[in-house]
Amino acid sequence: MTKQHANWSPYDNNGGSCVAIAGADYCVIAADTRLSTGYNILTRDYSKISQLAEKSVMASSGFQADVKALQKQLSARHLIYQHQHNKQMSCPAMAQLLSNTLYYKRFFPYYAFNVLGGLDNEGKGCVFTYDAVGSYERVGYSSQGSGSTLIMPFLDNQLKSPSPLLLPAQDAVTPLSEAEAIDLVKTVFASATERDIYTGDKLEVVTLNASGIHREYMDLRRD
Amino acid sequence: MSIFEYNGSAVVAMVGKNCYAIGSDRRLGVQLQTVATDFQRISKIHDKLFIGLSGLATDSQTLYQRLVFRHKLYQLREERDMKPETFASLVSALLYEKRFGPYFCQPVIAGLGDEDKPFICTMDSIGAKELAKDFVVAGTASESLYGACESMFKPDMEPEELFETISQALLSSVDRDCLSGWGGHVYLVTPTEVKERILKGRMD
Repeated sequence: MTKQHANWSPYDNNGGSCVAIAGADYCVIAADTRLSTGYNILTRDYSKISQLAEKSVMASSGFQADVKALQKQLSARHLIYQHQHNKQMSCPAMAQLLSNTLYYKRFFPYYAFNVLGGLDNEGKGCVFTYDAVGSYERVGYSSQGSGSTLIMPFLDNQLKSPSPLLLPAQDAVTPLSEAEAIDLVKTVFASATERDIYTGDKLEVVTLNASGIHREYMDLRRD
Repeated sequence: MSIFEYNGSAVVAMVGKNCYAIGSDRRLGVQLQTVATDFQRISKIHDKLFIGLSGLATDSQTLYQRLVFRHKLYQLREERDMKPETFASLVSALLYEKRFGPYFCQPVIAGLGDEDKPFICTMDSIGAKELAKDFVVAGTASESLYGACESMFKPDMEPEELFETISQALLSSVDRDCLSGWGGHVYLVTPTEVKERILKGRMD
């Protein structure tokens, strides 16, 4: 028997882009719905956004099998939290949990790039951005995934956030109104879709505010 | 790391209404170490024709010298300036000459042609031309530039609006790229004049 080549990888990259923007009393989380592998499109209608708690929504790109496992792990931990504390987890708490969950697999990571958006205990919008092994930061806006290099400079240009090194710490929320933020998200995805082959088909936009959660969709280029 | 990313660069050109703008960053580095912050990547070929050479700095300068040489010979023989389309073909031919040991450059060519029609074009290191109607980008910040330009560009901009747009796109792009930045350099070319502006940017 000849020796087999050891070229199998436990990982794949299914592409996709995620964006989240925090406002004074709202949070917008968006992602496209294309699922690809290599040059193939697996499906045009796959949601990368999951609601982890009442006021925490996560959008994830990367390897969707790992993302699924991560979501399952987080919802199991959230169920235990609900039984123990008789309340929903807050978004900053969920952010810490997500970081710990990612770091727990430091040496065989979840290949997942996440943005977590939601409302904090005061009802202010919050966005947390992660790497695959759990380093995270609270920011005013963020983008992750295959189109992030195209999206991030434009968000910087439109939403310049104060430096995180400033003392005293500045609020990182954006000055836009909710409608303006949703418009901006639609614009950046339309642009990213033009140049990134892994982004397209449909945009899913989730908005969190005091009145609850709202979902809307916009068609993107399908080529 | 690719040899194209050894020095770091960002070059962009945009078309407006009877005008164009071409811009670049000003950093020269050796991988992550910055060596100079006043480096020229854009050079004038004649009053209405500019070329920006992204990629390996030493090859950019050599290629520029050869291009100026060939353009001067053309001027002597023809007693006129080269049209942008012709010049693009010249650059392409010079690059393809070195098909199997290329100059590690990605050029951006911008010029005003007959009746001041703007012309922009980019090519890869072996001379495959890409003619665009709106904007072209090159260098280590090219992905950021694609994103920024795709969102900010509008057709038929007047010169001053074009300058503002290309500057905003350039500065916000290089701030997300470690290998380019340290200010910007923009040429705004209209049928009557050339405006050269140095942009201040983040110095980190």
